[in-house]
Amino acid sequence: MGISKDRIKFNVGGRIFETTATTLANAGRDSFFGALFDDEWNLSPQDSIHFVDRNSDCFAVLLDLLRTGDLNVPANIPERLLHKEASFYGLLDHVRTAKWGPFDGNRLRLSDSVKGIAPGDGTAIRAGPDGGCCVAHGSVVHVFDWMLEEHSPINLDYQRVNDVGWIDSDNIVLSACERLGRGEGGMGLFSSSSGDLRYKFQVCHENQVKSYTAGALSFSPDYEIFASCKGRSNEYGIGVWDQITGKQTDFFYESPGWSLGDADKLQWLNGKNCLLVATLFPRKDNCYISLLDFRDKNMVWSWSDIGSPMAIDEKRVRDAIAMEDSNSICVVNEFEDLGFIDLRMYGGSVRWSSRSKLMKSKMPDEPCYPKLALHEGQLFSSMNDSISVFCGPDWVLTSRLRRSYGGSICDFSIGGDRLFALHSEENLFDVWETPPCPII
Amino acid sequence: MSNQKKRNFQIEAFKHRVVVDPKYADKTWQILERAIHQIYNQDASGLSFEELYRNAYNMVLHKFGEKLYTGFIATMTSHLKEKSKLIEAAQGGSFLEEINKKWNEHNKALEMIRDILMYMDRTYIESTKKTHVHPMGLNLWRDNVVHFTKIHTRLLNTLLDLVQKERTGEVIDRGLMRNVIKMFMDLGESVYQEDFEKPFLDASSEFYKVESQEFIESCDCGDYLKKAEKRLTEEIERVAHYLDAKSEEKITSVVEKEMIANHMQRLVHMENSGLVNMLLNDKYDDLGRMYNLFRRVTNGLVTVRDVMTSHLREMGKQLVTDPEKSKDPVEFVQRLLDERDKYDKIISTAFGNDKTFQNALNSSFEYFINLNARSPEFISLFVDDKLRKGLKGIADVDVEVILDKVMMLFRYLQEKDVFEKYYKQHLAKRLLSGKTVSDEAERSLIVKLKTECGYQFTSKLEGMFTDMKTSEDTMRGFYGSHPELSEGPTLIVQVLTTGSWPTQPAVPCNLPAEVSVLCEKFRSYYLGTHTGRRLSWQTNMGTADIKAIFGKGQKHELNVSTFQMCVLMLFNNSDRLSYKEIEQATEIPAADLKRCLQSLACVKGKNVIKKEPMSKDIGEEDSFVVNDKFTSKFYKVKIGTVVAQKETEPEKQETRQRVEEDRKPQIEAAIVRIMKSRKILDHNNIIAEVTKQLQPRFLANPTEIKKRIESLIERDFLERDSTDRKLYRYLA
Repeated sequence: MGISKDRIKFNVGGRIFETTATTLANAGRDSFFGALFDDEWNLSPQDSIHFVDRNSDCFAVLLDLLRTGDLNVPANIPERLLHKEASFYGLLDHVRTAKWGPFDGNRLRLSDSVKGIAPGDGTAIRAGPDGGCCVAHGSVVHVFDWMLEEHSPINLDYQRVNDVGWIDSDNIVLSACERLGRGEGGMGLFSSSSGDLRYKFQVCHENQVKSYTAGALSFSPDYEIFASCKGRSNEYGIGVWDQITGKQTDFFYESPGWSLGDADKLQWLNGKNCLLVATLFPRKDNCYISLLDFRDKNMVWSWSDIGSPMAIDEKRVRDAIAMEDSNSICVVNEFEDLGFIDLRMYGGSVRWSSRSKLMKSKMPDEPCYPKLALHEGQLFSSMNDSISVFCGPDWVLTSRLRRSYGGSICDFSIGGDRLFALHSEENLFDVWETPPCPII
Repeated sequence: MSNQKKRNFQIEAFKHRVVVDPKYADKTWQILERAIHQIYNQDASGLSFEELYRNAYNMVLHKFGEKLYTGFIATMTSHLKEKSKLIEAAQGGSFLEEINKKWNEHNKALEMIRDILMYMDRTYIESTKKTHVHPMGLNLWRDNVVHFTKIHTRLLNTLLDLVQKERTGEVIDRGLMRNVIKMFMDLGESVYQEDFEKPFLDASSEFYKVESQEFIESCDCGDYLKKAEKRLTEEIERVAHYLDAKSEEKITSVVEKEMIANHMQRLVHMENSGLVNMLLNDKYDDLGRMYNLFRRVTNGLVTVRDVMTSHLREMGKQLVTDPEKSKDPVEFVQRLLDERDKYDKIISTAFGNDKTFQNALNSSFEYFINLNARSPEFISLFVDDKLRKGLKGIADVDVEVILDKVMMLFRYLQEKDVFEKYYKQHLAKRLLSGKTVSDEAERSLIVKLKTECGYQFTSKLEGMFTDMKTSEDTMRGFYGSHPELSEGPTLIVQVLTTGSWPTQPAVPCNLPAEVSVLCEKFRSYYLGTHTGRRLSWQTNMGTADIKAIFGKGQKHELNVSTFQMCVLMLFNNSDRLSYKEIEQATEIPAADLKRCLQSLACVKGKNVIKKEPMSKDIGEEDSFVVNDKFTSKFYKVKIGTVVAQKETEPEKQETRQRVEEDRKPQIEAAIVRIMKSRKILDHNNIIAEVTKQLQPRFLANPTEIKKRIESLIERDFLERDSTDRKLYRYLA
C-alpha cells in the first residue's frame, strides 16, 4: 500500500495538525473546510501547509469531533471559546448535534443550571425549537439560545406577562395583561435575537378594535394562534389569529355559566381538530375543561366539577392535558395523583389512580402545584422539586428528575430535545438533556 | 440644599471603549476587494483562502458587516456592468456564446466569493435578514446583465429566432440554447417565466396561428392531423432538450389551441376527408390520430362523438327504413351486425375503447333499430335461420360469438316482448319439426336471454324444451308397454303444455284409420299414466314419413305434413279423387286443404299427384290422380307446405294484437305494484314509473297505460282523488 493521497497539513496557531480530506469532508460544504476543496474534494495546492490563525486547542477538539462525531471538551477550554471557534469554522451545528441526542424522558441527565438575576417568581418557561428557551418573569422575558447565551430581554414596560410561546426559532409570542385605564396589553410578536416588537395582535368585536388581556396560548400546525382573552366589556372567549398575516380570524365567545376567557391552559389537538380549553382551581372556584371545534363553532366535549361531591381529601384538578392516542384527558391534583377522563363519553367522571397518599404529610412550606406535559408517549408531571416520568399504557412511573436546590418547580417545558425546569427560587432553571447515543 | 447647589448628574460614557481603527477596516476591505477583482479576472491562484476568510471574519466580528456586505455588492455590480458591455459588443452568432461564457465565469467567481464571505453569510446576513451571498449574486447578474436594456430584448429575440429557425427545419446549437435557458431557470422561476417563457409562448402562438391557417387551406384532414401531431411531438422534444419541464404543458396547450381547437369544426366536417369519410373508409390511423389530438382540447371528443353519432343515426335510419333491404330479414340483421362490427373495431382500434364512444354507438343503434317496427321479428328470424341451418359446420365458439352479437342487437330493442312472441313461434316450429341444428346453441341462447331479461322472460321457452324431453320419455314408455306396435306405422307424439307454446287453434281432421287407432292407444296410455289431463291433437303441426311406390316401381319416402299424409293415404284406395271427395273424407278446413293440395300437385319436381286441369291454383271442381311418372334422384323427398317463411299481413296483425293483449296485464300489474307502495300518485308520475319499470321488456304506450288505469278504476283497484282529479289513490 502506498501513501494515502488525501493527506493535508494545517498549521493552527503554530501547532501542526495532519488530517485527511475524508475527515474534513464531514464538515460539509457550508464550512471553512468545505470551501478549501473543489467539487470533488480535491485540494488545489497539494503539498503546502495551510496556515490558520486560530486557537490550536479548540482546533484539536473540533478536529476530533469531525473524526469521531463525539465532542470531548477538556476542562481547560471554556465552552464559550469553543463555540466561538466552531462558529469561525462553520461547525456550530456539528457541536450542537454532538452535545445531546434525541429526547428520551428516561435517560435525561442534568447538563446545566442557569441562575437568573431576579429573585424568583417566574411565570413560565418555554423551550424553543432549536434548543434555546425563554423565561417569563414579571414584565420581562429572558431569551437564551442553545448555547445558553442570554440575548437582549423582551421588556414590556410594567405589563405582566401571562404566557409565552415560540412560533419559530426567531419569533416569540407574548400574552400580557391589559393595564387598567391604559388600554394596552394583549399579544405581541417579538424577535428572539433582538427582543424587538415585530407585530401586535388585535382583537375586534363587532368591527371595533378593543383592548384585552391575553392569557394562555396555543399554536396549531395550520399556522393558527389561539389565546384566551378577556375584554373589558365582558368579551370573554378564545381568539384565533393567523400566524402569517397576523389577522384575527375567529373568536369563540364564552357562554354563560362556563369559562373560556380565564383559561389556564390551551392545547391544540391535531387529530380531533379541536382546541382543549381548561380553566382550573384556584383561578376559578370550579374546574372547566372543554373541547372546541372552530369549524362549526361548537363545544364538542366538556367536563366540570360543578356539583360533584367533595371528598374529605378534596381532590381538585390543578392541571389537565389531553392524550389523543388514548382518547382521554389526564388531570392531576395537588397531591400529584393522576386522574383520567374518557374523551369518548360526554359527562364522564375522573378515574383517579391514587398513588401517593404519603405525599400529604411531606408538603413543603411553599408548595408548587403540579403541571403536566406530554412528549412522544411519555407523560411528565412536576411536583415540588421533582419531575416524574410515566410510560406505557398504564402510565407507570419510570423516572424521577430531582434537584436539591432552587426550591419547587413552578413550570417546565420540553422542546428542541431538551427539558427546561424553572424553579421558584432565584429564577433558576435546569437544563436536562439526553446524552448522545452510545458509540457502538 | 439650595437650588444653586443642585446639579444634574451626568453619567459619562466609558471613555476607553475598544474601537478598531477604522483604517484597519478600510485596509481589510481593500484586500478583499482586490481579491474579488482578481477572482473575476481569473487570476485567483495566488490568493490565500485562509487569509481572505479570516479578513472577512474579522470585519464581521468587529461590526463592519454592513461595510463588507455593501462593498461586496458594489464591487460585483461594477464587474457585471463591465461584463454586460463586453457581451453587448459581441456580434451576431457569438452573442449567445459570450453570454454563456460570462455566465459560467460569474458562477465560478460567485462560488469563490461566497466561500470567502461564508462567515458573513452565516452570521451577519442571517441575523439582519438580508439576501444571502449566492442569491444576491444571481440577482445582480439578472439586474445588470439580463435586464440591461441593450441585452434584454436582443437576447430574447436571438433565442426566439433560433426556435423559429429550428421550427423551419434548420439545425441549431441545442447545447448552447440549453445552457442559456438554464441560466434563466437558475435566476428563478419568475425570471424564466417573465423574460423567456411568456414571450416564447406568444411567439409560438403567432407562428402556429399562421401555419395552421396555411395547412388547413392546402391539406386534407388526414394530412393536417399528421402535421399537427408532428408539431406537437417536436414541441415536446424541444422542452426535453432545452426548456424547463414545466413549460411542456403550456407549449402543448398553445399548439393544441392554435392547431386543433381553433380549426376543430372545419377539420371534422372537411369535405371528402373529414370524419365521415374516415369512418366510411375505415381509416383507423387517421381516426386514431384525430382521437388522440382532439382528446387534448376541451370539447374535442364531444365534437368527434357528435359527428359520429349523427352519421351513425343517418346511416342506420337509411338501413332500417329502406323497404328493399327489409325484404330479406337475414340480410337485414346481417347488415346491422356488420355495421356494429365495423364501429366496434373503429372504437377499439382508433378510439382507445373510449366508454363514451361505446355509449354513443349503443344509443345510436338503439335509436335506429327501433325505427323499424319489424326489427324484433327480423332478429328472431335471423336467429331462426342460424339455428336451423346456418350454424352447420361452425365451431361452438363461433356459434357463441354469433349469438353474443345477436344479443347485442336484442339489447337495443325496446319491444323485447314482441321479440319473445316471435322467438317462441320460431322456436316451436324448430322444435316440432326437429330442425334445430344444435340443442346446445339453443340452450345457450336461452341462458343469454335469461341473464338479460330474467327468469320470467324465458320460463315458457324453457317449458318448451322440457316438453320435448318428457315427450321422448313418454314415447319410450308407450312403446315399452305396447310391444306389439313394433310392426306397422310408428307414431311419435309430442305432448305440449298449453300456455308454454304459441297457441294455434286445433284444426280437426279425420286421420287415416291406421293412425287414428294408434292415436287412441296413445291417448289411453297417456291418460292412464297422467290423471286429470286433457289431450287434443294439433294435426296442423304434425309431420309424417310415408313410403310410396310409383308407376314404374320407383320407391320413395315422402316427408309430408299430417294433412298431406291424410290426403295421400286416400289414394291407397282409389286412383282418382275429386276435391270435394277429399274434403269430405279428411274434413280439413278449405284454406289448409287447398294449400296442402297445392304443395302436393303444383310444385315442380315434387308433384306426387297430378291435378286436372293443370293450373296453379286449386279449384273446387278439380280432381286428382297419383302421378305415376314422379321421379326424383333422392330416395327421401320432402314435400313442403306452401307457407311463407315470413308472416303474412293478417298473421302479422294477429301477432301484434296478441302482443298488445299480453301487455295489458303486465301494465296493470306494474300500476298496481307502484300504487301499492306509493298509495297516492299523480298521473304523470305513474306514467313515468310504469314506463321505467317495464323498460326491460317493452316501451309502454302512455295512452295504453291511461286505458289500463281507467280499467283499474272501474274494477275498484284505484280511485281518483275527490279534490285533485289528477291524483290517483290506491284502494287496498
